[in-house]
Amino acid sequence: MNRRVGSPAKYRFEDRFLFFIVPLFVLDGVLGFWGFHYHHLHPAGALAVVCAALQSSPIIAFIVIIALYLAEENDEFQKSILVQSMLWAIGVTLAVATFCGSMEKYSQGPRVDIASVQFLFFIVMIIAIGANRWRYR
Amino acid sequence: MTDRIKNLARYRMEDRMLFIGMPLLVANIALAIWGSGYRHLHPAGVLAYLPAILFALLGVAFIVIFGLYLSEEQDEFQRAIWVQALLWGIGATLTVITFWGSLVEFELVKDLKLMFVFPLFMLITCIARLVLKLRYR
Repeated sequence: MNRRVGSPAKYRFEDRFLFFIVPLFVLDGVLGFWGFHYHHLHPAGALAVVCAALQSSPIIAFIVIIALYLAEENDEFQKSILVQSMLWAIGVTLAVATFCGSMEKYSQGPRVDIASVQFLFFIVMIIAIGANRWRYR
Repeated sequence: MTDRIKNLARYRMEDRMLFIGMPLLVANIALAIWGSGYRHLHPAGVLAYLPAILFALLGVAFIVIFGLYLSEEQDEFQRAIWVQALLWGIGATLTVITFWGSLVEFELVKDLKLMFVFPLFMLITCIARLVLKLRYR
C-alpha cells in the first residue's frame, strides 16, 4: 500500500490498465469467441478493417499507457527496469519471429500466424519484468 | 569529432555496429543473394537451422548492442530519445502486424512473412529517432 502511494505514476498506470486495457481485451476476447475471430460474420471491406482495428486497439492502448507511465515516473530505477524488460521482450520476439520465418521458408517448421507475435512479446515482457525485479530484489 | 570523444557510449556503439552488426548484415545479404534465400541449397533438417540462426543472430546482435548502449549512455536526454524511438518502434510494429494478421484472417490481404517483422521494427525505430531528433533540435 505504501509503495502505491509512493508512486502516483504506478497507481495511474494500474488505473489506466484496469479501465482501458482490460475492457478492450475482454471485448476482443468476447468478440473472438463469439465470432471465432469474426469468421461467421464474414466481414468484408470496411467492416473487416473495423474488426482488424478492434483487434489491434489493446496494443495501441498498452503502448500509450506505457509511454505515459515512463513520462510520469520519477523513479529512474523503475523506469530502467521497464525499459530493460521491453528491450528483452522485443529482442526475443524479433529473434524468434526471424528464426520461425526462416524455418518456414524451408518448410521445416509449422506456419506461425503473424498476429500471434504480439502475444509472444507480452509473455516475454512479463517474464522479463519478473526476472528483473527478482534480480534487483 | 568532439562530440564523439565526449560521448564514449555512442562511440562504443558505433564500433560494435561496425565490427559486429555490419559483418553479420553483409554475411546475411550476401548469403541471401547468393542462395536466393538459400533455396537452391535445399537445406533440410539440422542444416536448415544454420541459416535460420544466422538470420536471427543479426537481430539479437542489434538488440544486444542497443541494450549495452542504453546501459552505458550517461546523457539522460539521449537515452530518453532512444527509449521513445524504441517505444514507437514496438508499438507501431505490433499494431501493423496484428492489423495485418486480422486482415489475412478475413482473406483481404496476402500473408505477411515473419521475416519482415525485424526490418519493419528497425525501419519504424529509425524513422521515429529521426523525427524525435528533429523535434528536439
